[in-house]
Amino acid sequence: MDIQAIQGRSDLLYQMRAWFRSNGYLEVSTPVLSTDLIPEPTIANFATQYVSEFLGSRELYLVPSPEIHMKKVIAALGRSIYQFSPCFRNSEQVSSYHNPEFTMLEYYTVEADEQQSIAITEELFARTALPGCPQHILPPFRRMTVAEACKTYAGFDLDCTQSTAKLRKEALRLGLTLPDEPESWESTFNRIFLNFVEPTLPQDRPLVLDEYPQQIVCLAKKTPGRPYRQRWELYAGGIELANCYNEELDPTIIRTYYHQQQAILASERGQSQAVIPDADPSFADIFGPAYPRCSGVALGFDRLLMLQLGRSALGGVILFPLSDMLSAGNEM
Amino acid sequence: MIKAGQIEKGTALLIKGQPFVCVDREFVNPGKGSAFVRLKLKSPSTGQVLRETMKSQDNAEDITVEDKDCQYLYNDGENFHFMLTENFEQIEIPMKSFEDYQFIMKDGETYRVTFWEHLPLDIQVPAKVLFTVAEAEEAIKGDTVTGATKMVTTETGLTVRVPIFIKQGEKILVNTETKEYLERVNK
Repeated sequence: MDIQAIQGRSDLLYQMRAWFRSNGYLEVSTPVLSTDLIPEPTIANFATQYVSEFLGSRELYLVPSPEIHMKKVIAALGRSIYQFSPCFRNSEQVSSYHNPEFTMLEYYTVEADEQQSIAITEELFARTALPGCPQHILPPFRRMTVAEACKTYAGFDLDCTQSTAKLRKEALRLGLTLPDEPESWESTFNRIFLNFVEPTLPQDRPLVLDEYPQQIVCLAKKTPGRPYRQRWELYAGGIELANCYNEELDPTIIRTYYHQQQAILASERGQSQAVIPDADPSFADIFGPAYPRCSGVALGFDRLLMLQLGRSALGGVILFPLSDMLSAGNEM
Repeated sequence: MIKAGQIEKGTALLIKGQPFVCVDREFVNPGKGSAFVRLKLKSPSTGQVLRETMKSQDNAEDITVEDKDCQYLYNDGENFHFMLTENFEQIEIPMKSFEDYQFIMKDGETYRVTFWEHLPLDIQVPAKVLFTVAEAEEAIKGDTVTGATKMVTTETGLTVRVPIFIKQGEKILVNTETKEYLERVNK
């Protein structure tokens, strides 16, 4: 076993807990098994069965992030909270940067927006890094909007390519092969982003990629008057490390999100064997007038630890990665 | 046709009329986006490397290939010369498509070669190969630092970093992809 990685994990957890405590965050512990999830069509889920001789049985789901329960805690307490939560994402490749079970560090700061979360995250990184952490994982973060990245690395103006037809034209200009049948703006955007933008992002410092297109639907607020959302992703060493929102608090928008995304999820997974988790739109009701404005960051803790240790893969950083368990004879 | 998500290492594809072989594959999910697959493809005739990221549901044109046993004869600096064991026919495969293979393949040994019609697309070398150390520097006396290494050259001309206790004439197992020393084999 990798003693340096085990020690590093213990030290980093200790340092981060101390930092959150001294900055007024409350540590919480919310369920990993849930009766319902926030509908997210792009995240495949794990289901299991609660079985009781007397109470019958019921399908339960392993959380892909602790968001749903943490937001309920904020509704009750109105305070900044954090937790290190086991999270589960199905059908992802078992590889250098992915394990179906991983640790998410998720922190919500009340009375803050996503811009303040950048400074908070820089401070967290600066104060808690392990000794010997490579410089390119440390703050100050470089900042760039998605539109700036598209202009620099793919040579087009995102503000002016808001229609599917215009974006398609840019994709063809860049030499991409597109399917004959029409596809969503988001799909074409991701093709361009993954082929031309993401592989060329600077890696000399962590990079906050800010203002994601509004067409990528999520529970981050829209930027007033512009076609973006108040959402950023943090890249370090070329790897996607964290995702941050200025959290959407409008119950009507959240209810609509639930209905639309659950419908998409159910229709996409209907033909396959994929799990269709229950969704409970009454989640929107927790966002009453007293709900504090807040910004949440979800950070892949194992990946951060890997980068701080100067490793290039999660093996060793995650004890008993699924790839090892599978190759040890318990094959699928 | 094949779904991009089903492409694996070794899958042969036709891209704009040219055959390519997948040498690496990685699934990616952009934040809040659907599943994509990142492919590294190589053209066997030119050695050209193509990186393409496709949606897992996209269609790709796969081609039917056939593996045949071929005996490696020699290289002339530009081409590898093989002989098909089924009919003794001799074939040439450009060396630039298979970097370092001249230091891995052994004269007279038989390898599986993947063909598309009559065009050789891929030479399959084992993941681990046993080599004999042809040249080794003497370990410096008194150098007892744990983990100290030195360079040796195998009978095929491959240079490998090994622990200092490895001597000339000994056999070592090497990972052919990373060219890293794995272990000493006492036979």
